[in-house]
Amino acid sequence: MDNARLELEKAVLATKLPPNMYMFRDMGTSNAHLLIGARTNAKNVYTLKIMLKDFPSSAPVVYTTKPLKDRNGNDLEVSHELHNYGTSDGKTRICHCPDSSWTPRVSLYRVYIKCRLWLECYEIYLRTGQSIDTLINEINRQGGNPTR
Amino acid sequence: MKCIYIDKDEALTFLYSEDNHIEGQSYEWEGEDVVHVHTIAQPHAFGHVTSAYWHKSVLPTAIPSQEQYHIVVFSDNEAKAYYVNSKFQSEECKVKFIPSKDEMFSRAKGILEVDILSDKRVMIIGLGSFGSQIAIELAKAGVGEFSLFDFDRVELHNLARHTCTIKDLGRLKTNAIKDAIIGKNKLARVDLFPININEHHTLMDKEVAKADLVICATDNNQSRFALTKCLLKNNKVAIFGRAVTRAEGGDVFRHRPGGPCYNCLVGSQAYAMAAEEITNRSQLPAYVSEEEANAMIQVGLSSDIEPICNLIVKLALVELSKGQNSGIESLENELEYDYYIWANRRERRHVGWAPFNNAKNMPTILKWYGARIAKDEHCPSCSSNTVLDLGEGLNDGVLSENFEGIELDTEE
Ligand SMILES: [Zn+2]
Repeated sequence: MDNARLELEKAVLATKLPPNMYMFRDMGTSNAHLLIGARTNAKNVYTLKIMLKDFPSSAPVVYTTKPLKDRNGNDLEVSHELHNYGTSDGKTRICHCPDSSWTPRVSLYRVYIKCRLWLECYEIYLRTGQSIDTLINEINRQGGNPTR
Repeated sequence: MKCIYIDKDEALTFLYSEDNHIEGQSYEWEGEDVVHVHTIAQPHAFGHVTSAYWHKSVLPTAIPSQEQYHIVVFSDNEAKAYYVNSKFQSEECKVKFIPSKDEMFSRAKGILEVDILSDKRVMIIGLGSFGSQIAIELAKAGVGEFSLFDFDRVELHNLARHTCTIKDLGRLKTNAIKDAIIGKNKLARVDLFPININEHHTLMDKEVAKADLVICATDNNQSRFALTKCLLKNNKVAIFGRAVTRAEGGDVFRHRPGGPCYNCLVGSQAYAMAAEEITNRSQLPAYVSEEEANAMIQVGLSSDIEPICNLIVKLALVELSKGQNSGIESLENELEYDYYIWANRRERRHVGWAPFNNAKNMPTILKWYGARIAKDEHCPSCSSNTVLDLGEGLNDGVLSENFEGIELDTEE
């Protein structure tokens, strides 16, 4: 990410979130990432790790810093139903945007919002067993926002 | 009478050398009475291979004891060729020459179209059904220098739409296409990069800087966006082409310095985002099952790809030969659009298009339509006044905005 874009992203985040809730780390390296806190409606707290390699040319890879569990207490496995890329090295990679609909216009703040929505769906799944994929499609329909 | 083809450049190199006799190779198309002789072994040989002995002025006294071979003798400014069989009976053959460097571009001789492109360098990213055809067409047109990018190998499922043949199965596409280019233009200089461009942005930038024109024939936006960055930095022209689902149609975009970029296009009305043709597994997320993937991979016909490649080649030739006596100068004033749309069939996205036999003034199939794309003044790639997508309307009050108690997990 070039400097101008980084400044733009920082300016957006500064207007939306308290400063202690996010942190850019290892910038300028291949491990550059944004750590960002998320508190769901049910008051559970997560930290999202948004990898910035190739951002904004491609959709950033997003992990939760702790492994997410399925309803049986096992690490989430790669699944369309549960809309994620599986758990490895203690992190679960969630799917916030299909590569085919990514554009460089998408801000990190929007990525964050998509991940927050994903986490809400994940928690509904934990409570009810509904598929995350179905829930996300439902939200997208309601929000009047087709595929993203 | 057998006919022997001699490469004039190889013959001249031999005649100017100190050697009076050398052994090369001959390649015979059996049963066709056609033999190509070379002073050096050919990398990917064809036909029946035997020795070819090249001599200046006189034949040597010692005769090689071999089953059969060919002899080329130069004397008195003349080349003669003989076939010698296992009983040492010789038979004179007809000699034909493969033109030398300075004869290659004579239109009358018909090897290459024009010589004005011999010092042009074209970078081609992606050597699938699009890139392979385009590369060979540009070689035929006389483009002299190429840099080819693709990390894939030729696989069975490629063959129907690819220039490569069964005998190329398993080969790196870069190397196979290099052979095809050299087969059309033996003077072409071809640099090979069998790598994933998405993982080598620095190299991409370096190669873009060296190129006169870039052809982006990949199947994903990630590479298109990354390339756009390099194009803007280096002020280069590029042509992007792709097919939409099952090749029911396709589009072509030309990026010129100062004009709209690929990102401006993606944000525009004219562009249909979700319609990208899915031709292989790697375009789909990992969580899509094998079964679902098989249903989503919908490959079009080669004849549906062809017209799109053809426009890309025309646009490329216009860009490369601007202001020169190319024979296609008149196109310069007509192919002035940024974006071109083509439909092969009235399906899906083109279902509302008019029938070909009764189109009146409506858009129909098998015709190109050009569009001007406005430069987006808030483009995230080419504008200094970028406006980002903040996802307004996405949240819609669903998410609580109480951030209390959040502590970042910085441990991992
Ligand atoms: Zn732009």
